[in-house]
Amino acid sequence: MKNFKTLVKDLAPKKFGKLDIIWTCFLILIIFIGIAAYIDQLIKGQEVTNMRDYALWGIYISNFVFFVATSFVGSVTVAILRLTNNEWRTPLVRIAEIISVAAIVMAGITIMIDMARPDRLLNLFIHARLQSPITWDVFIIPTYMVISLLLLYFPLIPDFAILKKYFKKKDPKLSKWYGKLSLNWTGSVAQKAIQTKSIRIIAIMIIPIGLLLQTIDAWLFSTTYRIGWDSTNFAPYFISGALVAGIGALISVIYVVRKYKKLEDYITDFHFDKLGKLLVLACLTYLYFNVNEYLIPAFTSKKGESIHLDTLFTGAYAPLFWSVTIVGLILPIIVLLFKKGRKPLPMFIVGLVVVVGSWWKRFVIVTPTLLHPFLPIQGVPESWHHYFPSLHEWLITVATLAMALLIITLLVRYLPVIPIQRTADELGLMENDKIKNTES
Amino acid sequence: MGENKKNSRRKFLDNGLKLGLITAIGGIGLSKLASKLNAKTNSGATGKMELMTTDGELIQVDASEVMEVEHASNHDKKYNVREGMPNRKFVMVIDLAKCKNALKCQNACNKHHYITGDNAWMKVYKMQENNDSAPYWMPTTCMHCDKPACVTVCPVDATFKRKDGLVLIDNERCIGCRFCMAACPYSTRVFNWGEPGQEITLNMDMTDHTPSPEHGGMPSLKGTVDKCDFCPHQVQNNELPHCVTACPNGVFYFGDKYEDTVTNGDESVRLSQLLEDKAGYRLMESLGTEPSVYYLPPTDRLVDFEDGLEFYKEFESVEKPEKS
Amino acid sequence: MKNPQKFRYIFLALISVFLLSTNFQNLHAQNAKKNKVRLKANYIKIMDSLSYIELTAVSKIKKQNTKVSNIELNIYNEFDDDKIKIGNVITNMKGESKFIIKNLNTIKPDSTSTYNILISFKGNDSFKKSNKRISFKDANIEANLIKKDSTNYITATLINASTNSPITDESLDIQVQRLFRPLRIGEEFNNTNENGTIIVPIEKGIPGVNGILTFEVVLNDSDDYGTVKTLIEAPIGVPIVDESTFNQRTLWSPRNKTPLFLLIFANLIILGIWGIIVYLILNLLKISKSKT
Repeated sequence: MKNFKTLVKDLAPKKFGKLDIIWTCFLILIIFIGIAAYIDQLIKGQEVTNMRDYALWGIYISNFVFFVATSFVGSVTVAILRLTNNEWRTPLVRIAEIISVAAIVMAGITIMIDMARPDRLLNLFIHARLQSPITWDVFIIPTYMVISLLLLYFPLIPDFAILKKYFKKKDPKLSKWYGKLSLNWTGSVAQKAIQTKSIRIIAIMIIPIGLLLQTIDAWLFSTTYRIGWDSTNFAPYFISGALVAGIGALISVIYVVRKYKKLEDYITDFHFDKLGKLLVLACLTYLYFNVNEYLIPAFTSKKGESIHLDTLFTGAYAPLFWSVTIVGLILPIIVLLFKKGRKPLPMFIVGLVVVVGSWWKRFVIVTPTLLHPFLPIQGVPESWHHYFPSLHEWLITVATLAMALLIITLLVRYLPVIPIQRTADELGLMENDKIKNTES
Repeated sequence: MGENKKNSRRKFLDNGLKLGLITAIGGIGLSKLASKLNAKTNSGATGKMELMTTDGELIQVDASEVMEVEHASNHDKKYNVREGMPNRKFVMVIDLAKCKNALKCQNACNKHHYITGDNAWMKVYKMQENNDSAPYWMPTTCMHCDKPACVTVCPVDATFKRKDGLVLIDNERCIGCRFCMAACPYSTRVFNWGEPGQEITLNMDMTDHTPSPEHGGMPSLKGTVDKCDFCPHQVQNNELPHCVTACPNGVFYFGDKYEDTVTNGDESVRLSQLLEDKAGYRLMESLGTEPSVYYLPPTDRLVDFEDGLEFYKEFESVEKPEKS
Repeated sequence: MKNPQKFRYIFLALISVFLLSTNFQNLHAQNAKKNKVRLKANYIKIMDSLSYIELTAVSKIKKQNTKVSNIELNIYNEFDDDKIKIGNVITNMKGESKFIIKNLNTIKPDSTSTYNILISFKGNDSFKKSNKRISFKDANIEANLIKKDSTNYITATLINASTNSPITDESLDIQVQRLFRPLRIGEEFNNTNENGTIIVPIEKGIPGVNGILTFEVVLNDSDDYGTVKTLIEAPIGVPIVDESTFNQRTLWSPRNKTPLFLLIFANLIILGIWGIIVYLILNLLKISKSKT
């Protein structure tokens, strides 16, 4: 039986060990290489990529879509599970929120990398046209970012107060920072009331905003005429895809954090089992929309559609398409339908497979459509008929993924990855075993 | 003493001759220089020049007071660049029965817009509706749609639709997101992925020229999008777009839909009559873009399709200048 | 002693010969490099307006027809083996120039009422001299718009201005002014009858700004009379209706004309959400400030 003190000791952030430092330096190195490649891109222009007039969007955009999809995990875990009264979510919500914040911040950065004239960024605000789906994107991403940060922060306030006390002697400087962030939290009735009300508002608000984010992301494609994009199915297709990507990312990160911080007592097999069931549900939903998107057009086989489907089913993109669909979607469903498949280690592997599959699935969504426009591709160099990212694109993209992981790493380092106060409340643990009113 | 006198005389003669020679050479050199200079000043100054004022009046002006400017910066614009020429709606008609892929249109467009990339703005496609139909050559320009998808999706108003029907690009506003290129179903837009380098490869001289949406490619800017502009810079001077005048087969007709008249430089016809007689149609009508370019189907062809094959380059549409 | 002097003189002599010969060569070369200039001249008379001679100077340089700009052309009236200078012009950047004849009476015609004009280019360092002669008689076109049985017609009479007699069997072009090239009305050839007159019906439904059409009756490039043109403005056109959506609120309009639905809804959503966000941030401040 745990008491409050052990609880805090288990969940309080710990100093960086050797492995952590190596990991962080490794990420920073990748990021620096990516920045160098980006500076080269700024100087020479986007001709350093392999995008050309036909494959005009490449992995910068599919990477962006991936980040946007992954950021949905916050809405799902914190809000949707909350509204459906799934109490088991408590140890998972903090990590889910951290992943959300990291993903949406990286989404904002990644889309700016794709802009060929970032020096004119302000035009998006000064001259914004409301009719353009990009303007809707410019609105929704910062909005979701702020909401996610608030959703991360509000429940953290009591935890910061706890950590301030915990580190008072161990690390006074750190304690001071926690103190500042705790906003003079004393656990008073008034404060608790404000906090609870705010969290409820955010939790309710983040669901439509999260759905809106995925929808607008889908509309970037489905507001064009292009075959493969011009689909009425796209918005719910993207929402369910975000469910899959987000939960997959959550499982992967939770497994690593749990193992490394020895949190097996708090995140148990039970949680993995529940997450596994949630992922299966998400994957089945996504599979349903995939069938609508890829199987049904084959029924009428309109010329444009059949060219698109041929490319995916038997053509140049067939290996990729079948990999992400079978290995990235169907296999996880099968594995997770079994109880043994929902144990932590198989879940971790499935989670990774799902995340990698999600990333490549978005590549399959963006590129093949661009390479079969309405008018034939003629009068341009032969290389323009294909697209595979260049070294610059890979370096920059990998750097963005590294940056996302770096944000997660830093947040996990300094924040309690499991909500301390909430867990204490649920376990009925009081801060002082003795009933005293004074602070310790 | 005599010796000395002789010596000095010799010296005098010597020096004199030397001086004379130098003077002669110098004189010839100077005269040549003078004639060259003279030639320059002669070509500028004398007599009077006939000029027309903006009110249509003809006046005589001293030639020496007139400065010829190669590219006039902002003409006396009577209209807003974003609004367009009043009372006009520009349309183009392309007669597919006459096109034999001479590619003179493409060359003229490339040349006059200093295109340095690998993708021309004017493309002539080798088309075939299905295996049983006969192949034909189809030149395409920007369609300057009345319901332009590209304009709808631009987040910063960098591309805009004017009253006179033209869809133009403000290269100084464009942020390079390429959404317009994704939206265009006619694949007509090109992107400047790197430095266009027009000054270097094509010796383009931009002094005295103000960049304007009315003259695409002057200059092209890195990281922005370009496309056919229907040459408003020509139309302002009452001249037809470059592709229309360059075509040796009279394929392109250009004009004002409100005036119901189009011309290919040689013949002028009523647009409505032309479209009725030859069953004009538009590309991808079912998409609802309302393009401003009409096509006349390739019936009763004047030329064989195969004649155009010798000029067909599947992987090239912009001739690169020979490296000197 | 004498020898070195002799050598010097021989040396000088050789040098001067060398110099002179190179000079000769240069002169020769200059002459050989000069290009021929071809002058084109057309006499154009616009009724009740100006008459002018349209001049173009072209030259074949390196097998390409190039316009010759900035050269001075002298215009003479040739009369009785004599030439009187009546003016000069300088070609513009396109090699073109217009010499305006303000009053035809200042030019003397010959016994056949023909005006003979000589256009002369003196030549310069790059071009040889060149001459061009044109001759023309003075002709007038009188044109009218008439309406018979609900059809509009243009009648025009071509008259020799010097003799006041009609000019028969010449083809006149009837056209309506349009943006780049005029649009032809009627047949390709409209020959004047024995009275020098033609009558051409105007097709219905020609559009014009505010319904106004400007017709041109043109004697185009005739051997005897040059080009004579008269203009008739008539409000018989179909008024042009502006069909553009420029002033409407559409999806493709600039931002100041966003569709109302979008404007209202989007701003409501934005304000609503950010209003709540501001409220939440204020809550953070409240927590910070609240004391037990």
